[in-house]
Amino acid sequence: MAHPIKLQIQFGGGAELLFDSIKSRTIELPAIDKYFPECQREKWTIKELLVWMKDNLLRERPELFLQGDSVRPGILVLVNDTDWELYDELSYELLEGDTIAFISTLHGG
Amino acid sequence: MDVIQRLEQEIAELKDTLQMKEQELVEIKQKFLQINENSTENTKVRIGGLPKWAIERYSRQILLPDIGVQGQGRLMAARVLIVGAGGLGCPASAYLAGAGVGEIGIIDYDEVDVTNIHRQILHRERDQNLSKAQSAANSLRSINSKIKITPYSIDINPSNGLEIAKNYDLILDCTDNVPTRYMLNDISVLTGIPLISGSALKMEGQLTIYGYRGKGGDEKEQTHIGPCYRCIFPRPPPPETVGSCSAQGVAGPIPGVIGVLQALEAIKLLVGHPHTQLLVQRMLLFDGGDSTFRTVKLRPRSPACEICSDEPTITKLLDYEVVCQSQAKEKDLDLHILQSENRISAKELAKSLNAKERHLLVDVRSEAEFNMCNIDGAVNYPLEKLREKQFEELMEKIRSCTSYVTFVCRRGNDSQLAAERVLDALVGPDRSRVRDLTGGLHAWARHVDIDFPVY
Repeated sequence: MAHPIKLQIQFGGGAELLFDSIKSRTIELPAIDKYFPECQREKWTIKELLVWMKDNLLRERPELFLQGDSVRPGILVLVNDTDWELYDELSYELLEGDTIAFISTLHGG
Repeated sequence: MDVIQRLEQEIAELKDTLQMKEQELVEIKQKFLQINENSTENTKVRIGGLPKWAIERYSRQILLPDIGVQGQGRLMAARVLIVGAGGLGCPASAYLAGAGVGEIGIIDYDEVDVTNIHRQILHRERDQNLSKAQSAANSLRSINSKIKITPYSIDINPSNGLEIAKNYDLILDCTDNVPTRYMLNDISVLTGIPLISGSALKMEGQLTIYGYRGKGGDEKEQTHIGPCYRCIFPRPPPPETVGSCSAQGVAGPIPGVIGVLQALEAIKLLVGHPHTQLLVQRMLLFDGGDSTFRTVKLRPRSPACEICSDEPTITKLLDYEVVCQSQAKEKDLDLHILQSENRISAKELAKSLNAKERHLLVDVRSEAEFNMCNIDGAVNYPLEKLREKQFEELMEKIRSCTSYVTFVCRRGNDSQLAAERVLDALVGPDRSRVRDLTGGLHAWARHVDIDFPVY
């Protein structure tokens, strides 16, 4: 049965500017079938997390954070301090207590 | 005024003389050193392959098991290319020169500006307007006269990049823009020279090693290849998401920290530490705002990478400004979007303001820039926030007044973008009231108000 989960989400490298300049916050996602009634899965993946973030946290200019159903180029996504590429990227099934970080790459020097 | 000119002239001449004398000293020292070294050779006091002076000079780091005599020998035989003599390149090269890296090449097309000095520690006040590469080389020579330093006061680009890089064993990316970062990555992969990539902005810094290729050690280490920049970031970021130190600011010690750590990684890599001890497939994130360091794990080399995979689709350097849709030198950006009737020069604007013609002056720089300095009476509508509600509010203001509407920014690029956005929403005679200040506040400071800060 689907149930709510708590996560830590973090932003860095300037990505926090799109999220009220808050670098770290705890969020609670409702049971996935409550948020996406059509959804067949029982667990949230990063793909749905991005939709939830767009609906609930992203104030303006979503194109500076998202592109298609993923994050835009130049943002590194980390699952518990590890590149999400090592965790199936969008398909990663979120676990209670996970920390998901979105780090914009810097280019200055 | 004559006194000022005379003194400036005298100082310039003294600077030239000083530089010549310094060069002379370096040459004499080197000659003397060779004779001395030969005599040391004869008396066989060389220890572990290092001459007496080197043992003495570098003793504090030779004492470390992490470096040792053999490591010092490797450092002295090493050649490192530092691209960018700015906030990262200055501290990085200072420590590498201090450590006795045998040859340091330092590239920068730019000249020293007073705004650089809070973070670019090799440049002094007296170096203003001097080539950054030359200024850095002068400082590095004063740190260590026993190493070879080659300044390149040029723009590294796809036509000269491979040629320059092939004379070096390691490249440090100390640059400040996306196109050059992609180019250096491709140079690194095409030449097999590893790239230590640092970056810094505002209160944060990032550091990792791209294109690592194991050399010594066991078989596993020898064949190890780390990811390249394109493995992690196959596509460049949208240009509007990229910030720069000159637009968004940077605290001096931030690139200082990252540049110093670039030097440390360089020393470890040259000495031959295995990849597990280096920032290979790991990225260090430094947040000076809350004083935290963390290291995150990156993906390995991608079998589908366009340049470093076994079947690459990129086999030569590209036009990176086109690929990244952005400029390598921001100062050169000179947009011509508006028609001439929608532009106004600084002098004309001043005349019009003095004649008490009614003007709505709209400054589209960021709030932080506006607070630092602005033209009296201007209102602030930052371009990045000029949309939806903010945009409607401004349009309302414009439609309800009959005065001129003049857009202002730092250099006269963003002001055109803002004016264009407004012009697109206006019809008929209202359009002729909208202009932008050509050349921005820089032109204003040059032609109208010499007391206005140029930053």
